[in-house]
Amino acid sequence: MAEVKDYKIKRNLSALIDFSRVINSSIDLEFILNNVLLTCLGKFLATRGLIAVKEKGKLVLKVSKGLNAEDETAFPYLLATPECIEDPKLDSFMHVTNMKIVEKISSSQDCIGLVCLGEKLNKSGYTEDDQEFLRTILNISATAIQNSIIISELREVNRLLDTRVQRLDSLFELSKEFGMLAESSRFVKLLIFSVIGQFLVQKYAVVLFKDEPEILESKFSRSDLQKCLSEYELINTLESIRNEEISEQYKLLKEIGVHLVVPMQLQGNTRGLILLGNRAGDKEYLDSDVEFIYSVGNLAIISLENKRLFEEALEKQKLEEELLIARDIQQNLLPQNIPFHENFEIAALNVSSKQVGGDYYDVIPLDDDNFVVAIADVSGKGVPASLMMANIQAFLQVICKHDLKIDEATALINNLVTANTTEGRFITFFWGVVNTKQKTIKYVNAGHNPPLLLRNNAVNKLDKGGIILGVMETVNPYIFEEVDLYKDDVLILFTDGVSEAMNLSGEEFGEDKLEETANALKVNSAKEILDGIKHEVQRFAQGNIQSDDITMLVLKVS
Amino acid sequence: MAEFNTSILDKGNVSVINLKGYLDAHTAPTLENNFTQLIGNNRFNIVVNFNELAYISSAGLGVFMAYIEKIRENSGDIKLSNMSEKVYNIFDLLGFPLLYEIYKTEDEAVNKFTR
Repeated sequence: MAEVKDYKIKRNLSALIDFSRVINSSIDLEFILNNVLLTCLGKFLATRGLIAVKEKGKLVLKVSKGLNAEDETAFPYLLATPECIEDPKLDSFMHVTNMKIVEKISSSQDCIGLVCLGEKLNKSGYTEDDQEFLRTILNISATAIQNSIIISELREVNRLLDTRVQRLDSLFELSKEFGMLAESSRFVKLLIFSVIGQFLVQKYAVVLFKDEPEILESKFSRSDLQKCLSEYELINTLESIRNEEISEQYKLLKEIGVHLVVPMQLQGNTRGLILLGNRAGDKEYLDSDVEFIYSVGNLAIISLENKRLFEEALEKQKLEEELLIARDIQQNLLPQNIPFHENFEIAALNVSSKQVGGDYYDVIPLDDDNFVVAIADVSGKGVPASLMMANIQAFLQVICKHDLKIDEATALINNLVTANTTEGRFITFFWGVVNTKQKTIKYVNAGHNPPLLLRNNAVNKLDKGGIILGVMETVNPYIFEEVDLYKDDVLILFTDGVSEAMNLSGEEFGEDKLEETANALKVNSAKEILDGIKHEVQRFAQGNIQSDDITMLVLKVS
Repeated sequence: MAEFNTSILDKGNVSVINLKGYLDAHTAPTLENNFTQLIGNNRFNIVVNFNELAYISSAGLGVFMAYIEKIRENSGDIKLSNMSEKVYNIFDLLGFPLLYEIYKTEDEAVNKFTR
């Protein structure tokens, strides 16, 4: 009898050593557990059994034999504590699944799992010895199980790190690519590809909020999505909307299969949305997933915005360049060289306050004995005024080719200007025909600041004429005046930019001061008088930026 | 700029796309065009051979997702083959084996269609 027992112990021992060698040679948790369970079943001739192992603090069923799926899902929620095998939930589970014995697997510190075994084939109960033997097997296995748990945890952590690295790579690549793209359609494609490739999503949409929500891409039905957009104020979405919330509060979105809505934000404002359907394998979107999508979306929207700002700046720059060209063209409309006329010295200047303005002067030869001097001031400023200035310049050039009387010609110009202007715009205009032989000027003043005719110590204002140009068609004829000119007479044509030039205290230069200045300078040449007045006006203005153009023409009889 | 190009070879009712070089956000349109072209020609049995692919970014992966639905609707499929370990790891990390059949060799993948 003793021999038989010895033999049995020997056999058990060599089996245990063999078993120990096998399971310690592997780090594959599944292989180890399978081996442990099969060894137990073989040893006790049991037909069913299971092993649960600690995973994130609780016990998870890892391997089972002879259990059906229903039994497996019935495995209770148990925390991995030393007391776990006394839990009543486990008791009732074992009762239902016909398990007869349970033993925990302990590492040096704590419980890392448990084993349940069913009835023995011969229906006999488990003895104290059996229980002891089971404990021995499990003690031998514990280290191997513990090691393989740690390794699989490390693998998991590694995989998580790999995922993080891969996502950072994606973000890095995207930020590079977004910066290089020219078309916005590629932006959306790239955004979509990155997200659906990352999460294995087949249904998606991208919406931008402009004046109206605009669906840029959609694999959901566009009309259904449109309905959702008008039903819910999604522009106010500041946080992502997760599946749970969609199920509860956004029935329409749920119906078309949206599982996640992530806002694309710029400076705290929602400028667009990324809508995604379910992930392959029905995985949920985790916090870190949503964070990634959020980052990609914001990256895209910032890049789009930068592109828009850049284009806007480019457009503005182009506009400014065009204005500079317009200014050159306008300057060319003014006489480049004032023709020399016997007995008359002429000097003129135009200082534009903006890039383009509405002031105009001209000197146009008619025939050997006659030439025209003209000055005009278009109401308003900028491009509209400059267009009208170009207009009247053209009229005048054409009309001077025809032998018309100056009053009738003025009436004609007024009709043309009236027909060509929008309401509220007008032109003050003075022009005169100077006869060099007879030394006369025949002029019409259409509402312009009266030019000053300085003779001896008197100042004569040339103010005969009629209504300003462009207000209404000529009803009352313009009247003209013919004035004789004498040696040393000085005629000064100017726009209100001269008389109304303002200093820092808001005072105007004024016509009186203009007369005074001109009088003091009149013994000089036309050019010197012009420069003298300009200098005086600038001295008065004290460097104050002028809002109006300054235009002047000085004619001196010699 | 990284090089990427593709070539398409028909093997019976299966079209094989060979990828070469770097498939990223920048080069993704090339592969997009291949898929659109094949779909346009009603060739829905597609094998993508990764043998000469050096790198794939997430935008590159997105291209596969963007066309798979259309292709499967027409009872076709995209099967993948000849991935290097590095490329396979990225596919695996993102869970592609859930959705796509991945084979060691091109012939294996092609034969799956003809059977």
